Amino acid sequence: MSQTKVLLVDDEVEFTVSLAERLQLRNYSVQTANNALEALGLVYKNRPDVIILDLRIPGMDGIETLKTIKKYDPTIEVIMLTGHGDVHSVKEGMSSGAFEYIMKPVEIGELTSKIDKAQKKIKEG
Amino acid sequence: MKNFLRLNTLFNKSGSDRYKGLKIRIVLLDAVLSLIPLFIVVTISYFWFQQILKDDFRNQLKWEIENTKQSIEYFIEERLSTIRFITSTYTYEELSDQKKVNDVFTKLKKEFPGIVDFGVIDANGIQRSYAGPYRLLGVDYSSQNWFNEIVVRSSYISDVFMGYRKIPHFAIAVKKEIPDKKTFWVLRVTIDVETLKKYATSINLRENDDAFIINHNGIMQTTSRFHGTVLETYKDFKIIPDEKTTVKDFNQSKNDCGICGYAHIKNASWIFVAVIKSTPYAKIPNIFRNELFYITLLSILFSVAVTFMLTQTVVNRIKKSDQEREVAISEIEHSSKMASIGRLAAGVAHEINNPLAIINEKAGLIKDILEGSDNLQKNKDKFLVLLNGIFDSVSRCRTVTHRLLGFSRRMDISHDLTNINDAIKEVMGFLEKEMLYRNIKLELNLKENLPKVTTDKGQIQQVFLNIINNAVDAVEEGGQIDVSSDIKDINTIRVLIKDNGVGISKDKLKHIFEPFYTTKEKGKGTGLGLSISYGIMQKLGGTIHVESEVYKGTTFIIEIPITTETL
Repeated sequence: MSQTKVLLVDDEVEFTVSLAERLQLRNYSVQTANNALEALGLVYKNRPDVIILDLRIPGMDGIETLKTIKKYDPTIEVIMLTGHGDVHSVKEGMSSGAFEYIMKPVEIGELTSKIDKAQKKIKEG
Repeated sequence: MKNFLRLNTLFNKSGSDRYKGLKIRIVLLDAVLSLIPLFIVVTISYFWFQQILKDDFRNQLKWEIENTKQSIEYFIEERLSTIRFITSTYTYEELSDQKKVNDVFTKLKKEFPGIVDFGVIDANGIQRSYAGPYRLLGVDYSSQNWFNEIVVRSSYISDVFMGYRKIPHFAIAVKKEIPDKKTFWVLRVTIDVETLKKYATSINLRENDDAFIINHNGIMQTTSRFHGTVLETYKDFKIIPDEKTTVKDFNQSKNDCGICGYAHIKNASWIFVAVIKSTPYAKIPNIFRNELFYITLLSILFSVAVTFMLTQTVVNRIKKSDQEREVAISEIEHSSKMASIGRLAAGVAHEINNPLAIINEKAGLIKDILEGSDNLQKNKDKFLVLLNGIFDSVSRCRTVTHRLLGFSRRMDISHDLTNINDAIKEVMGFLEKEMLYRNIKLELNLKENLPKVTTDKGQIQQVFLNIINNAVDAVEEGGQIDVSSDIKDINTIRVLIKDNGVGISKDKLKHIFEPFYTTKEKGKGTGLGLSISYGIMQKLGGTIHVESEVYKGTTFIIEIPITTETL
């Protein structure tokens, strides 16, 4: 079974680096980006299966980034990451095509289970 | 909440005085407005009524004078007619007989009391026969005025005079022509002045009143009460000879005033005079005045009572609505505070959750490595790096919690010595992350060495937070917000919060401090922030106003009074 390609987008470098390493230990192929432009570049260059996207990232609003990605390729599944209970943004994200959302700090089992569900959904088409 | 309670007690304390003052002002105004017309009406009706009574009295007096005049005229006329009748009935020869004269005189006196004597005078003025108490037989009247008068007239009524008998009396004489002999004789009757006086004083006289008769030369024909005795000259009041009965007011001095009426008496050259100094008409107004006084007093009491009750109701309503408004405002303040705390909490959650997430991942990674490998030494350096990352994140959390504690602690403290620049910086600490995400540039131009001010730091920070939040919402990505502080004058610090956002149109600008007015989309704004900020600045003795130009940006100007010594 090929590795699920995950793109991790968050402005906290320390967070992305550590989480990426943990996901790699769990056999995911992980790329990281620390702003919206970097993330979009990686989506274009190396299409990921699942994107874990923080809603507050510099450069472009998380929701805008989500919409751009879904417009570019609707089959890429996005799991939103939010640091606080911004219900309004989460609702908007879900209606804009996000697969799931997860609150910070992330419980690794919950995250991998959501990544796997997303991957399963992609495979099932 | 503590602040709100304190404000409420303050309000009630000064408020009760305010309502008392308002009540007194309304009562006084209403009393003046309702009582002035009442006093005017009462005064006018009092004088009007007095005038009516006086006019009425004067008319009555005129009527009485007229009556008295007529009875005097009738008295004279009657005697004159009787004498004429005697001259027609008896011949000169018959009446020259002393016995006959005595007989007629006795009968006459019986019918007409007041007749003193009776006599026949021949054409030469010699008394031919006489009946009466005096010895006047043979007396020659030819040189007397009345005899000269009778020669040319058919009858004559004399003024009162002393004559031979030295007692005041007047005479009625009737001439009888004897055409055959071309001569005449005169029948003369004298009448006691007291009889005349009786007629003159038959008019209704009160204590201070007087009535008498004078002749055209002002000589008293009857004895008066206060104006002299018979044959003295009457000077007090100028009588203008006139045929009509006249009633006039006179006012010669403070104690000598009243009404004088007079009437000319036909067929005698007399004037009947009544001088009325009593004022019975003044007594009636006394009664009227008492009634008027009680009616006025009752009206005043009623009016004041009604006014008082109405005012009480009105002021109570105002008070109630003021209290309701106060409660509503404090509720709004509270909910706004809650909203701003909610917003703050969301920001804080984000700020804390981010380092927590880092801690979580680093600790998780250490755990992952430990679970996957037993060679701790090999991973020692990696562990140290990860642990340092954890400590850094903990430190980040600590900063946030400290800042939050500092902010919330000041929420309830009022009037502490505050450095406005520090207050601004603390508020910016909460917002800078959001501004960073949205790529908003912040320009801080804080004047150094600003004097510290005694104010409520928490409230001032709430104002800054509200306005800078609005600025953040107003600007586009990549916009700019300038926050500056300076000293406006010796008493005031000025803080300008300027953005280059969408601006506010003039019609919206005038509403922005009104409660529940919002231009933000539904769910994003409560419409309370600016109205609360406005209220806070008023409470703290400062001001807040706004200048804005559409598409160019908005500037909020906050002025804070310096109420303590400079640093």
